[in-house]
Amino acid sequence: MLPMPSRMLPIFRDVLNAPALVVRLDDNAETLPNYDSLAHIDIVTAIEKEYGISFGFSELVDLQSVGDMVALVERKTSAARTAVV
Amino acid sequence: MKAYTWNELQVGVAEELAVKVAPAMIERFVATTGDVNPLHCDDAHARSHGFAERVVHGLLTASFYSTLVGMHLPGRDALLHGLKIDFTRPVYAGDELVVRGVVSHRNEAFFQLEITGTITRSGSETVSRAVLRVGLLARE
Repeated sequence: MLPMPSRMLPIFRDVLNAPALVVRLDDNAETLPNYDSLAHIDIVTAIEKEYGISFGFSELVDLQSVGDMVALVERKTSAARTAVV
Repeated sequence: MKAYTWNELQVGVAEELAVKVAPAMIERFVATTGDVNPLHCDDAHARSHGFAERVVHGLLTASFYSTLVGMHLPGRDALLHGLKIDFTRPVYAGDELVVRGVVSHRNEAFFQLEITGTITRSGSETVSRAVLRVGLLARE
């Protein structure tokens, strides 16, 4: 399983207003504090800006956990790197 | 009132409005909110803390971000999701402000805009900075 990226942890802490929050890859909307629909949108926006990527709704609809999001970001950033090379 | 569509709201699109803070606005804000803190209502108290006179409530000036979003950018179909604001300088009655917003990010999956906002006085001094998150009720 991929580790929780150091670039992504501050996003969850900031959006969820929980500065000391520990985020695990198996966390989801039910286990994270303050995680509602607006928080989800804000996390998506923050990840897009942090990684310079853009999500389509179809990519996000099946995400079940933080780990799923981490894996999706890894795929998209890897694809971008490959395209550049 | 503007009525931008999602496709028109590309990064860099900007709108602004001008407003003069009249004393009557402050009185109505006080009457509405009940915030009678002496910093906002008592010139002598404000001067004793280094201000030129009583200071306009930050959230009164910030309320013009609502006007920016609801009337100008994007206008008719706006749904304000949230905003973060910094108040960088005091505002006084009679100040003439320019409220400006620029689309700085598009969340394509959820049709949400990030708008970077500023309020300036006399065209140069920034009195407020904000990041606004705005949804669109209609996408076409």
